Amino acid sequence: MEGLMTIVKEGWRYKGSGNVMWMAHRISGLGIMFFLILHVFGMSMSFFNPALHEIMLETYKTPLFAVGELGLAACLVFHSINGTRIALLELRPEWWLQQKKATQYSLVATVVIGVPMILIMAMASINHFVK
Amino acid sequence: MKLHLKIKRFNPEHDKKPWWGEYDLDVEPGDRILDALHEVKWTLDGTLALRRSCAHGVCGSDAMRINGRNRLACKCLIKDEIKNGQIVIEPILGMRVLKDMIVDMDPFFAHYRSIMPFLVNDTPLPANGRERLQSPEDRQRFDDSTKCILCACCTTSCPSFWARGEYIGPAAIVQAHRFIFDSRDQAAQERLEILSDVDGVWRCRTAFNCTESCPRDIKVTKTIGEVKEALRTGVIA
Ligand code: SF4
Ligand code: SF4
Ligand code: FES
Repeated sequence: MEGLMTIVKEGWRYKGSGNVMWMAHRISGLGIMFFLILHVFGMSMSFFNPALHEIMLETYKTPLFAVGELGLAACLVFHSINGTRIALLELRPEWWLQQKKATQYSLVATVVIGVPMILIMAMASINHFVK
Repeated sequence: MKLHLKIKRFNPEHDKKPWWGEYDLDVEPGDRILDALHEVKWTLDGTLALRRSCAHGVCGSDAMRINGRNRLACKCLIKDEIKNGQIVIEPILGMRVLKDMIVDMDPFFAHYRSIMPFLVNDTPLPANGRERLQSPEDRQRFDDSTKCILCACCTTSCPSFWARGEYIGPAAIVQAHRFIFDSRDQAAQERLEILSDVDGVWRCRTAFNCTESCPRDIKVTKTIGEVKEALRTGVIA
């Protein structure tokens, strides 16, 4: 708890290249984990409590969840690309000199892959809800 | 030139929370931040508390956050840090503040001691009774990590350390690296064992804040990466 407070109160404004990416990685990870828990819980309800499962499926079709889905897509794209960067640097410590560039590339890749993906998803949702 | 110095002050004996001390000074651009802090302490407010000893980047006692990043006050020039006539000084992050810039370094040094920061070699000395020789290449292998002055800039810039103070931290790993890769040392396996603990090297998430903050330009994250590699492969090369 103390650690969380340090980060919330002061860590975020430390001027390093690493802490912001570190936090973004953790926040996107939490987003994905939230989805996974909901997903596994929802699926298991199809067996344990079919009525609840039905309600959940209906809720997923609301605009709120459509927006949430866009957030999930953003988290997934960023987390997987940034995670690949981290894993590569872990495997090859001698690549550390490229680390700043690698960070920039992963941000660019997140935008290049993430933005069209979110646009396509958003268009589909808008079409669905407007109809 | 004019300098407006903003210092985060805190004395747990009578302050409920930290407050900003603001001081206006006349300085030379080539003065160091430490000179400005001395000016405050010696002429404006004697209650300002800070550690320093060598004043030349050797002892590692004056690490602090200068304009939001960890630096040694004695190694930074005012002209390089000043922004709009101002410099902001705060204590390093993630350690308990005892007073102003002085933080409790005990946990930091406990982590340092935990990795056995001394040469372990129980074999008899060479026949001539003198030092154990080592080739220049073997010496070069751990050259970078011998430069550490235990200033804690790296450890207190590390988000994983802020999140969990039990994390052994980059400084202790750099110190372990210095012995693990020393051809004369025999306790590498023991040290690796200590570092493979849950609060050991694997808490490093390769964020690179430490590398950016090291006043000795040690490639801290690379050093940690090499220790991870040794743990993963079982090869110390
Ligand atoms: S590279 Fe590792 S030790 Fe260094 S700041 Fe990042 S997480 Fe901390
Ligand atoms: S590795 Fe660098 S930043 Fe860390 S304690 Fe040693 S000298 Fe200071
Ligand atoms: S006073 Fe010794 S390192 Fe700055």
